[in-house]
Amino acid sequence: MSLLSKKGKSTSDLIFDIIIFVLCAFVFLIVAYPLYFVIIASVSDSTLVSTGQVTLYPKGFSLFGYKEIFNDSRIWVGYKNTIIYTVLGTAVNLLFTLPAAYVLSRPEFKARRALMFIFVFTMFFNGGLIPTYLLIKELGLTNSMWVFILPFSVNVFNLIITRTFFETSLPKELFEAAQMDGCSHFQFFGKIALPLSKAVISVVGLYYLVGHWNDFFTGLIYIRDYSLQPLQIVLRDILLANQVFAEGAGSGGAAGGYAQKYADQIKYGVIIVSTLPILLVYPFIQKYFEKGVMIGSVKG
Amino acid sequence: MAFLNPQTTKPIDGSIPSAIVPKKKATVFNTFKRDYQLWLMILPAIIVIIIFNYIPMYGIQLAFREYDFTKGLTGGEWVGLKYFKQFIDSFMFADLMTNTVVISLATIILGFPAPIILALIINQVVWKKWKKTIQTTVYLPHFISMVVMVGLLNVLLSPNSGVVGHIASSLGFDVNLLASEKAFVPVYVLSDIWQHAGWNSIIYLAALASVDPELYDSAKIDGASRWQTIRYVDLPAIVPTMIILFILSMGNILNTGFEKIFLMQNPLNLPVSEVIATYVYKIGIISNQFSYSAAIGLFNTLINFAFLLAMNYIAKRFSNISLW
Amino acid sequence: MKKVVNGILALSLSAGVLAGCSDDEAGTEEKGEVTKDGKAKLTALITKHPLTQDVNKMEWLQEVEERAGVEIKWEEVTADWDQKKGALLTSGDVPDLIIGPNAITDADHVQFPGLFEDLSDDLDKSLPNVKVMFDEKPETKEIATQLDGNIYGLPKYQRFWPATATRQFINQQWLENLGLKAPTNWDELYTVLKAFKEEDANGNGDKSDEIPMDFSPTGTVGFGFFQPTVLLGSTGITLTDASGAGYFAEDGKVKNFLTDERYKEMVAFLHKCYKEGLISKEVFTQDYTKYQSVARGKDDVAKVGYTYGWEVTDRFGNTLAPQYMSLAPLKVSANSTEQVSWSYDFNGLNYGANMVTLSSQSKNKEAALKFINELYDPEVSMQVLFGSLGTNIEDKGDGSYKVLPPADEKMDPGTWKWTSTFADNGPMYISDDLKLELGTDMQSVGKQTEPFMPALDAVDKENDVLPSMFIKYSKEDNSKLSLNNTNLMTLALSKYSQWITKGGIEKEWDAYVKQAEKTGLPENLEIMQKYYDEYKQK
Repeated sequence: MSLLSKKGKSTSDLIFDIIIFVLCAFVFLIVAYPLYFVIIASVSDSTLVSTGQVTLYPKGFSLFGYKEIFNDSRIWVGYKNTIIYTVLGTAVNLLFTLPAAYVLSRPEFKARRALMFIFVFTMFFNGGLIPTYLLIKELGLTNSMWVFILPFSVNVFNLIITRTFFETSLPKELFEAAQMDGCSHFQFFGKIALPLSKAVISVVGLYYLVGHWNDFFTGLIYIRDYSLQPLQIVLRDILLANQVFAEGAGSGGAAGGYAQKYADQIKYGVIIVSTLPILLVYPFIQKYFEKGVMIGSVKG
Repeated sequence: MAFLNPQTTKPIDGSIPSAIVPKKKATVFNTFKRDYQLWLMILPAIIVIIIFNYIPMYGIQLAFREYDFTKGLTGGEWVGLKYFKQFIDSFMFADLMTNTVVISLATIILGFPAPIILALIINQVVWKKWKKTIQTTVYLPHFISMVVMVGLLNVLLSPNSGVVGHIASSLGFDVNLLASEKAFVPVYVLSDIWQHAGWNSIIYLAALASVDPELYDSAKIDGASRWQTIRYVDLPAIVPTMIILFILSMGNILNTGFEKIFLMQNPLNLPVSEVIATYVYKIGIISNQFSYSAAIGLFNTLINFAFLLAMNYIAKRFSNISLW
Repeated sequence: MKKVVNGILALSLSAGVLAGCSDDEAGTEEKGEVTKDGKAKLTALITKHPLTQDVNKMEWLQEVEERAGVEIKWEEVTADWDQKKGALLTSGDVPDLIIGPNAITDADHVQFPGLFEDLSDDLDKSLPNVKVMFDEKPETKEIATQLDGNIYGLPKYQRFWPATATRQFINQQWLENLGLKAPTNWDELYTVLKAFKEEDANGNGDKSDEIPMDFSPTGTVGFGFFQPTVLLGSTGITLTDASGAGYFAEDGKVKNFLTDERYKEMVAFLHKCYKEGLISKEVFTQDYTKYQSVARGKDDVAKVGYTYGWEVTDRFGNTLAPQYMSLAPLKVSANSTEQVSWSYDFNGLNYGANMVTLSSQSKNKEAALKFINELYDPEVSMQVLFGSLGTNIEDKGDGSYKVLPPADEKMDPGTWKWTSTFADNGPMYISDDLKLELGTDMQSVGKQTEPFMPALDAVDKENDVLPSMFIKYSKEDNSKLSLNNTNLMTLALSKYSQWITKGGIEKEWDAYVKQAEKTGLPENLEIMQKYYDEYKQK
C-alpha cells in the first residue's frame, strides 16, 4: 500500500527534492565562500588580501600568522583554562537549568507563572556592571576560576527554551502513567524526562558551551592574574599586538611596516584557532537532531 | 501578588486525573507539601538568580541619582527624572530612536523567519551526508568575531577590491555599499542573517527531531505531499518555540547589537547608524557620565519590557502560549 | 506586582548590607607586605602598547625595582582599559600604582576623589627627580596640578618628538614622470592631482590605476592625524594636536573651525577634487589597515600620489618610500597673503598627563614613592623610552648615549622600541640636556618634518595654540563639554563626509551652522574661553 503511494508521488517528490537541493546548494555557497576566504586569508600576504587580490586561492603563502599564534606560550594556558571553565561551567549550567525548566513546565505547579515572571524580569532589569562587580568581589570570586562558573549559571533564555521544549514534547499522559506506577517527580525527571529530551539538552548544552567558550568579558573585568585568563583574552592580546597600525603611528611612534605584511593573517588565523575545537564537538551533538531520536529512546 | 490570590489562578487543566486534584482549590500554599520535590528542583536556580541578578538591582537607582563616588552608588543626590528628561530633550533623541527601531525591526522581520525556513529546508534533505555538511557549514559563521566579521564585510564589499563589489559593478551597479546611507540597514541585517541564521536554526532542528516519526508515516499513508507534510507536521511542531522566541525578540526592540554597529559606522552612514547603544557608549564610557548612561539604559529597558508584556499578552490571547 | 518588587528590593538591600559586613579583613594588616629579603611588595597595573613584551622581562625595570627595594606584581592591560577601569575605580579596588598614558584621567580624579594620593607634598622629600622636572619645565607642573591644587598623577616629557604628527607626502617620481613641479597652493595641487588621474603617472601602462589623493579614515568620534584638515593651515588656522573636535585658538580667542567660513572653503575644495575622482572612492569607508595597504602599491609600482602620514617608510613600505617626499604646507592660491600654518602637535607628542598614580590606600607608600622617583631619574627615563642600556642603548662612556638599531634585522626601530620597553606609555623626564643620538626612525622623521618647520616656527605659540593639555576643567564643565561635543561631532562628521562626496555645502551651510549651535557649541566656546583666559593670566 505504502509502496504504491510512494511510487505515485515520485515525480512531485523528485521535483521537491531538486528544489530543496538547489536551495541548499545556494545557501551552502553563500555561507561557505566567506568561510573559505577566512581560511585562505589566514595564509596569504595581508597587503594582497586587503587590496582584493586574494579571491580564490592563497597568494603570498606563509604560515607566519599561525607561527606567531602558537609561538606564544600563553595560548596553551588559555586553552587549558577555557576547556576547564567550559566543561565545568556547562555542567553547572545544566545542573541548575534542567531541573528548573522541568519544574516550570509542570502545569500543576502553582507558582510557575510567578516564578517565570521573576526569571524573565532579570532578562531586562539589572543593576549594571558596578553593583555586580562589587557583589562578586564581596563573594571573593574575583580573580578566581569560579567567577567563570558560578555567577549567572542560569541563563533565562536557555531556561525558557528548555521549558518550552519540555512542555511540548513530554506528553501529559506520560507523567500520569508514571505517577500511576508510583513514580515521584525526581524519578520521572531523571528516568523519563531527561532521556526523552536529548535534543534540547544538546541544544542548550551547546548554547552554554559556546557561551563559555566565547566569554571574554568575564576575564576582562574580573581577572587580574594572567595565568587564569581564558583563550579569548589571550587571542585578543595576540591579535592586538599585530594590529598596531591603527594606532601605532597615531600615538606618536612609527610602529613600522614589519608586521604589516602579516597583520591580517593573525586576525583570520585567530578565528580558526579558536573555532576548531568547537567544530569538533558539533558532530557529537548533531546526532541528537536526527528525526525520531526521542521516540527511539523511549521505546528502548 | 498574583500567585497568592486563589481567585486569579485558573482551575487546572481538566485532563489531570482527579487523584491529584485536591478538593479545595489548589494554591501555592496547600500544594507546597505535595510539590516539595518540584520546589527542591527549582531552588538552586532561584538562589542563583536572586544572588547574581536581584541583589545588584539596587544599582538601578543610579539612574535617578547624581553619581557621587564618595557617597557610594546609593548615596548620591536624588535628581529624579533629570537624566531621563535630558535624554528625551537631547539633540539626538529623535534620530537615535528612529535609527534604533528601524534597525531592530528590520532585524526581526527578516532575521526571525530565516532560521525557521533554513531548519525546515535542512530537515527535508534526504541525503544524510549532504545534510550533515550543510548543517555544520551554516552554523560556523556564528563563531566569527565581530571585528573579523566587519573586516570581512569591508574586504568583500569594497567597490574596488571586493568580490561582492566586483559582482555589483559587473552587473552595472556602481555603488559603494559601505558608503551608502540606504545600504547600511540591508547590509547590517543581511550579514546578521548570514552569520546567525544557521546557529539559530539549531533550536528548530531540535524541535523537529522530536516529531514522532509515526506522524510522517501516517501523513504518507494519507497521501500528503512533501509540502503538505511540512505544513501539517513540521510546522506545528515548532510553533511553540517560534512564538516564544518571537515574544523574546520583540522584547529586544530597542536593543541593537552594539559592537557590530559601532564597527560598521563611518561618517557617511552616521545619520542612520547612530543608535542608542552607540550613543550611550560615546557619552557613557568616553566621558564618564554614569548616571546619564544608567538612565538611558533604564529607559531602553522599560520600553523593551513593555513590548514584551504586550507581545506576551497577545500571544496568550490568541495561541495560549506565553512566557508565564 | 508592586509588592513583589518591594519585597525583592528589601531582600536585595539587606543582602547588600550583610555582604558589606565582611569587609574588615583588609584592615588587619596595617603594614605593607614584605618579601623574605626585605623588599616591599607592591601591585601595579600598566596599560601598555599591544606590542610591548612582558614587563617582567625588561632588564632596566628589574634594576629599578632592585634599587628602589621593591618587588612589583604587574598586571598588564593592552585593551579595553576603559571598561575595566570603570569597575576598578567605582569599587575602589585599585592597585598601588597605575602606569600608562592618561590611564587615570583628570575627569577621573574629579569624579573619584580620595582614591589617589596627593603627591604635591612629597616632592621635596621623596620625589627629588620629579621636582627637577617641575623646576626645569614648569609647564609639566601645570599639567599635573588639578583645580584643587593637588597633584594626583605625574606627567611625562619626552622632548625628541617633532612639532607635528602629520606630514603630507607627494610622489616625486610621478611628478618627474609627468614633468610637473611640486604644488605650492591648492590650485596647483588640483592641477597635479588631475594629471595624476589622467596620465599614466606610475608608468605601468594603465592610466586608471592611480589614486591621486588619499587620507586616513575619519572615524565617527572626531578628526585625527593624517587627515586633510591640515589644509586649514593654508587659511591661517593652526590646529592643535589635530583639533579632534574642531577647536583652535586664534589671536587669543577660542574658536571652532566647524562653523568657520574657511572650513567651508576647504570642504568645497575637497569636493571639487572628489567629484573629479581625484580622491580615493573608499576614503570614508576603508579602515586604517586598508589605507596603509593601498599605499604600498604593487611591488615597485606606486598607487597613491598625494597623502598624509607619520614617516615615509611607515606609510609606503621600504620599497616605495624613496619615491616620496615631504611637501611643504600649501597656500590657498598663488596670490593669497595669509601666513601659512600647519597642525601644531608638539604638546601632544611630547607631554603626557597622568602617566603614573599612587593609590591612597597603598600600604607601602614610601617604597612606592621611591620607585616612582627612580623612573624620573635621567638615565632611567631614557631607558623607559628606548629600552635597556646595553641591548637598546649604548653608553658611549663620555656622558653621551646612542640608541642602537634593532637586534632583529627584520624589525624597524619603531617596532623594536615598542616591543622592548614601556616606550611612550611610560612616565619619564627626558631633559633637554641629555646627549642622546637617536635611532634612524626618529632621525628620518626629523628630516621629513623640515619642510614644515617654517610654517610651524611662524606659529604664535602664545595666542594661536590652544593649550588643551594644560587646562583643567571642573566636573560640571567637563561633562557639559564632552556631551555637547558628542552631539556636535555626530552632526559635523556626517555633514563633512557628505559634502565631500556629494557636495551641497553652499546650500546647506547656513542651516548647518544653526544646527551646530543647537548642539551647544556656543556654550562650549564660552566655557573654553573662560578657562583659556584664566590659564593665560597665570
